[in-house]
Amino acid sequence: MSVNGRASAAATDSVLSVRDLIVRFSSGRNVVHAVNGVNFDLEAGEAAGLVGESGSGKSVTSLAILRLLPRPAGKIVSGEIWLGDRDLVRLSDREMRRLRGREISLVPQDPMSGLNPVLTVGEQVVETIRAHEDIRRREARRRAAELLGTVGIPRPGDQLDRYPHQFSGGMRQRVLIAIALALRPTLLIADEPTTALDVTVQAQVLELLHELTAQRGTAILLISHDLGIMARMTRRIMVMYAGHVVESAPTADIFARPGHPYTVGLLRSIPRVADVGRPLTPIAGSPPEPDRLPPGCPFAPRCAWAVDDCWREMPPLAPAEGAGVPGGPRSGDHLLACHNPVAADEVEAGRPLLAGFRPAPPPEDGFIAQETT
Amino acid sequence: MTAPARSESEPALLEVRDLRVHFPITRGTVLRRTVGQVHAVDGISLELATAETLGLVGESGSGKTTLGRAVVGLVPPTSGTILFRGLALGAKGATAERPARAQLQMIFQDPIASLDPRWRVGASIAEPLRLNHIGTRAERLERVSDLLELVGLSPAHAGRYPHELSGGQRQRVGLARALALNPAVIVADEAVSALDVSIRAQVINLLQQLQDELKVSYLFIAHDLAVVRHLSDRVAVMYLGQIVEQAGAADLYGDPRHPYTVSLLSAVPVPDPSVEARRERIVLRGDPPNPASPPTGCRFHTRCWLRDRLGNPERCAVEEPAHQPVSAGHAAACHYIDEVPERIRLSAVGPTSEPAS
Repeated sequence: MSVNGRASAAATDSVLSVRDLIVRFSSGRNVVHAVNGVNFDLEAGEAAGLVGESGSGKSVTSLAILRLLPRPAGKIVSGEIWLGDRDLVRLSDREMRRLRGREISLVPQDPMSGLNPVLTVGEQVVETIRAHEDIRRREARRRAAELLGTVGIPRPGDQLDRYPHQFSGGMRQRVLIAIALALRPTLLIADEPTTALDVTVQAQVLELLHELTAQRGTAILLISHDLGIMARMTRRIMVMYAGHVVESAPTADIFARPGHPYTVGLLRSIPRVADVGRPLTPIAGSPPEPDRLPPGCPFAPRCAWAVDDCWREMPPLAPAEGAGVPGGPRSGDHLLACHNPVAADEVEAGRPLLAGFRPAPPPEDGFIAQETT
Repeated sequence: MTAPARSESEPALLEVRDLRVHFPITRGTVLRRTVGQVHAVDGISLELATAETLGLVGESGSGKTTLGRAVVGLVPPTSGTILFRGLALGAKGATAERPARAQLQMIFQDPIASLDPRWRVGASIAEPLRLNHIGTRAERLERVSDLLELVGLSPAHAGRYPHELSGGQRQRVGLARALALNPAVIVADEAVSALDVSIRAQVINLLQQLQDELKVSYLFIAHDLAVVRHLSDRVAVMYLGQIVEQAGAADLYGDPRHPYTVSLLSAVPVPDPSVEARRERIVLRGDPPNPASPPTGCRFHTRCWLRDRLGNPERCAVEEPAHQPVSAGHAAACHYIDEVPERIRLSAVGPTSEPAS
């Protein structure tokens, strides 16, 4: 994985390369800085996760990749999104339509709104296939039945003529996975695919997603706020905060040797089923309003590690130089956007252990909300 | 974190006995007729002691929300009794019951829906006081300030409208309103589920701190098993309107006996990749059945992995299992409580010992 390599992604084996992506929404006089310079790569067949809280820009990033930002409010201001050797930002709507479903597809959060309530499930699967492939209806129907079988829907032939409301939430989500995988895309984006489901059904759906994408070598970009799902499903995690990727590392490293104070805060905020009585240490304060981002690092106001630079400048996402972290130094593909990363012993303590360290206060010369540009 | 001891003579703070809540299923608009019953809560008994937290877990449709609403009197029970300090609360909130009812309060999942958008936050918090004719206007204002400080907000927040607050702040307001009448019991229905991770931890800590200070008891309803373990002294697992297993939190998570509890625990993703890689998961087939027509015998038998392993004994489909004691305070409603293999039982939530790194 490379972030600095600006060369076209075709040179590497990345399926997807997002470069300096900036997305803004304008609503009246306000400009919402939803995504503020996001960089990441996804390799073929890789399962990566985008973690963040509401408003962190994770869903907006995925909509930008699919070019499905709500119009006219949402806009890709700058940046590149390379899918293979094409920059999606520059494709026409028509070209995008041809590509969606066939090369990138989406499993949305809410299975009910992802399906058309007045069409049978069969019609919707057949429609997807026939939109991209010139085959007869009968043949498409046969393929649709086969697909529903693959996603674990019993008696798929009979189910084709039923409507979405006749399916349970879990079954609807299976139908959406069937539609998303119908044309064997190289990249599947799953935006909180199990949030609406019960935990036992969630386990089924996650297992299905994992099996199918592994079998077909489909890369998957999983978007979730649930670190447990991330631990189960992904090989790499990108942590987003206020429109920035603040940490990106192999999944094991994110949990074993997190480097960004926000990541550490998240990990210390979640109760564990196997944990007895460990008190939670929440992150103080709340996330900034995306239409009033502070200058510098947006996490600085909540950060116990903040130094003066944090208030002035957002550091770029760069390889972490972390010697002496538990379990060895941070690996080369552990990237951090932080002026003062969390040290080894501090991960457990959850605060800086350097004697006499106090987080730098906001600069005297007026801590003002960044004016919209 | 064991259940507080209680002398035999003293009644439990809250006791629910064989509670049933059935909702009619109706057809037709003009000639409305009842064509069936949803047995949302179907014979539930439980107890809650002072300053204790009882966690209630289960999937959607298990009846956990209906049970919580019945406890605070928001839905009338079909049968059964709810005793508060030994006093039976009737179906209709009779005037004589008001003081007792005031001791049972509720907080909801969605704080924006549970606060009037046109009222300042202070008015919402003062409403229970006003309705119960407590204090003068000035005294109520002072009480509102105290309550806001208690839940970690500033008195200045009283003048704000709900939309001016963040989700975490709104949930704190909901909590302040629930605390206005000094309740003994708070029913918290998915009270932290809608909050973001970092904010959720703040509210969880606040709930614990309030319990320490005010000795309030919680009936904590949630689908998140990690949050429930963190907050609860005891946990009850519901499936299709019934409690299938009940135990101290450590027992329930460490040594579950009901096959449904085991599968529920084993389905929870654990935020630790080394645990996730090594765990043996039991993935249930199918969805929970329709609560309007629950399966005969044991309600879980249609999805039960243990029954499969035992060669599908007929008994499960025919005979409803009674609660069998496992140890003190731990009971499970299954004919085969000793048949869940120990290896699976003890590692349902993943290996508990830290892996060598």
